[in-house]
Amino acid sequence: MAIRFERIQRELRGSAIALLMVAATTLVVYALAASLEIRRGSAVYLLPVLLAGWHLGLIPALVAAVAGVLLSGYFFFSPYYSFFVARPNEFVTLLLFMVVAGVTSHLANSMKQQTELARKREKEMSDLYAFSRRLAVAPSAADIHRAIEEHLANLVQRKVVLFGAGPRRETASEAAPLSGRVHAAIAEIQEGRTASTIVDDGAGDIWLVRRVSEKTADFGVIAIDLGSVPAEKIEEVRQRVDEVLADAAATLERLDVARVLNDAKMRSETELLREALIGSVSHELRTPLASILGAATVLSQSPEVARDERLNSLAGVVRDESERLNNDIQNLLDATRVSRQQITPRAEWIEPQDIVNSAVERRRRYLAAHQVLLDLETNLPLIYVDAVLVEQAFVQIVDNAAKYSPAGSPIILSAKRNASHVVLSVRDVGAGLTAEEGTQIYERFFRGKRHVATTSGSGLGLWIAQAFVSANGGKIEAESAGIGQGTTVAIHLPFATPTNQPEVGPDE
Amino acid sequence: MSEAKPLALVVDDEVQIRRFLRAGLELDGFAVEEAENGSEALRSATLQPPDLVILDLGLPDMDGSEVLERLRGWSTVPVIVLSVRSHEGEKVRLLEKGGDDYVVKPFGMAELLARAHAAMRRYARASTGEPVINIGPLSIDLAARIVTVHGARVMFTPKEYRLLQLLAQHAGNVVTHQFLLKEIWGAPHLNDTHYLRIFMRKLRQKIEANPTQPRILLTELGVGYRLVTPEAAAASASGRV
Repeated sequence: MAIRFERIQRELRGSAIALLMVAATTLVVYALAASLEIRRGSAVYLLPVLLAGWHLGLIPALVAAVAGVLLSGYFFFSPYYSFFVARPNEFVTLLLFMVVAGVTSHLANSMKQQTELARKREKEMSDLYAFSRRLAVAPSAADIHRAIEEHLANLVQRKVVLFGAGPRRETASEAAPLSGRVHAAIAEIQEGRTASTIVDDGAGDIWLVRRVSEKTADFGVIAIDLGSVPAEKIEEVRQRVDEVLADAAATLERLDVARVLNDAKMRSETELLREALIGSVSHELRTPLASILGAATVLSQSPEVARDERLNSLAGVVRDESERLNNDIQNLLDATRVSRQQITPRAEWIEPQDIVNSAVERRRRYLAAHQVLLDLETNLPLIYVDAVLVEQAFVQIVDNAAKYSPAGSPIILSAKRNASHVVLSVRDVGAGLTAEEGTQIYERFFRGKRHVATTSGSGLGLWIAQAFVSANGGKIEAESAGIGQGTTVAIHLPFATPTNQPEVGPDE
Repeated sequence: MSEAKPLALVVDDEVQIRRFLRAGLELDGFAVEEAENGSEALRSATLQPPDLVILDLGLPDMDGSEVLERLRGWSTVPVIVLSVRSHEGEKVRLLEKGGDDYVVKPFGMAELLARAHAAMRRYARASTGEPVINIGPLSIDLAARIVTVHGARVMFTPKEYRLLQLLAQHAGNVVTHQFLLKEIWGAPHLNDTHYLRIFMRKLRQKIEANPTQPRILLTELGVGYRLVTPEAAAASASGRV
């Protein structure tokens, strides 16, 4: 009822405006008619008809047409100032006008509708495109759910809350406070007891709760706030929502959302599993490794082995290789810490050169084949960092230099300062970097294509180093003139002055 | 001669670790007792007081630090802790609780022995009163408070000397920042590690041949300092892990 009444009101208003336009046209034409000797000005009335058809709809256009015929009969056809038309040919003219005006108003109106439809379709298409793009780049199941939720809210034009399909009941928008009754209905549907239900949330709002798709549970369960709908209207609103959702579900199917969702879930679960595995395996590996390495060092010190050069070198091999293995395990552990964001620096004031010296000391055996040169500036400012993390980062860089430069070649380690930073750098004369490699070396698992076959490694080192250094407010920069031109990798750490200085007492 | 052998108590729940430690220590002239958990270790130490304890932190029945604490209730035996890397805070805590030094798993036998001997020598020095420590060209006479490098006397301010003295008393073993700060500047300065950095720089300038690449006064990052003995330097040159 209400809708029909509104419509009548709208048409009446439109017709009134159409009549005003006709009147305005008449005034203008009549004023001009005297000076320009216009006769039979009926064609002019096509203008208000066309405008009314375009902007106001069919009925106002027809009203304009009829008014136009009457007024042109009154003003522009003899006898003037009478609705009576004397000559038959004039009558035909008016009749023709009537027909043309009718057709025109219809054309204008349907063209307008077509345009509006096209515009709506275009918006739908661009929304859909944005939605599918969002699905494609969504990194996790939760993000996909959020995208679907917003997409559906946009379509239904109401508040919606989307729940995952599984019993874990993950919601896309955690913040949404839902009443107990709505939750109960959601649980019911998640357990598959019903497919769709209507609940009153107790606060005056009616909620429609149903599976997003009638065919599959993959897309989850949706709760739609219908607002305060009178009881007799619920079915009607529900039908409309059902129609929209049927379309939406078909779209979700077409976009293969189920697979995307599963992939995302699998990815995050495997990632977690992998890290847990790495963590425990690493610990399990380290204990036997400690025995192997310790035993090898005892062997090499026993008089029997120490006397025999061959046996001694074998004990050395056992030791070196278990050290290498231990480093790889340490890298895995560090990588796990980095990706779990468990890096919490414990900063203290430290002498920059101590970091370099400690790294050299720790990697002495590994660096034995190279010529290590130290270039340490005296009186560098102290830096406030987690020295252990920075040293580990520096060791990664030193290891890389040793790995990618020929035995016997120099590796230059330096500690310098510039205006605001202390710079710890490692320069080698080895493989160098291409411009492309220079941008990729910090990526996790990146390994230069030209080295994969010849050098072993995990591609974790610089990624870890980068994380450790940035946790300390610093950055790593790599420079190389190109392939075979050597590489310089530098850690930049900001320095400051300690706020309190040791007092220079009487004893100083 | 078997009575003259020093006794080492090895406390670790991993049998393979105990095996190589036993072999290494016996090769070095120790007699070895083993314990695979904390209570066994405490019982063994009571029955037969050892001259050295090698203590693993991860024990099945109690935490290694608890063993250390209880042991310290009645014994001053040198204790070397077996630790894992990236647990600097834990190392410091154990050293504060009376551990003499630590090695990080995996470690080489030479490194462990160097730490152990340094700790044992310190206890011997404390009982015999041997006052002079010689490290290469450096000679520190703790009784006369005279320090020479290549025979030439080096002068220090009282605080510089105190720092050197504390490190020399623990020669070969690590000394924590906190211990040094408390001994020299007092409890309110426990976190002012830059005090130490500044004084260490002065010490190195006076003692080290190349102050930027110290060979005697070494930094243990995140833990403290170590005044290296010739023996430890040799172990390190042979390659520590």
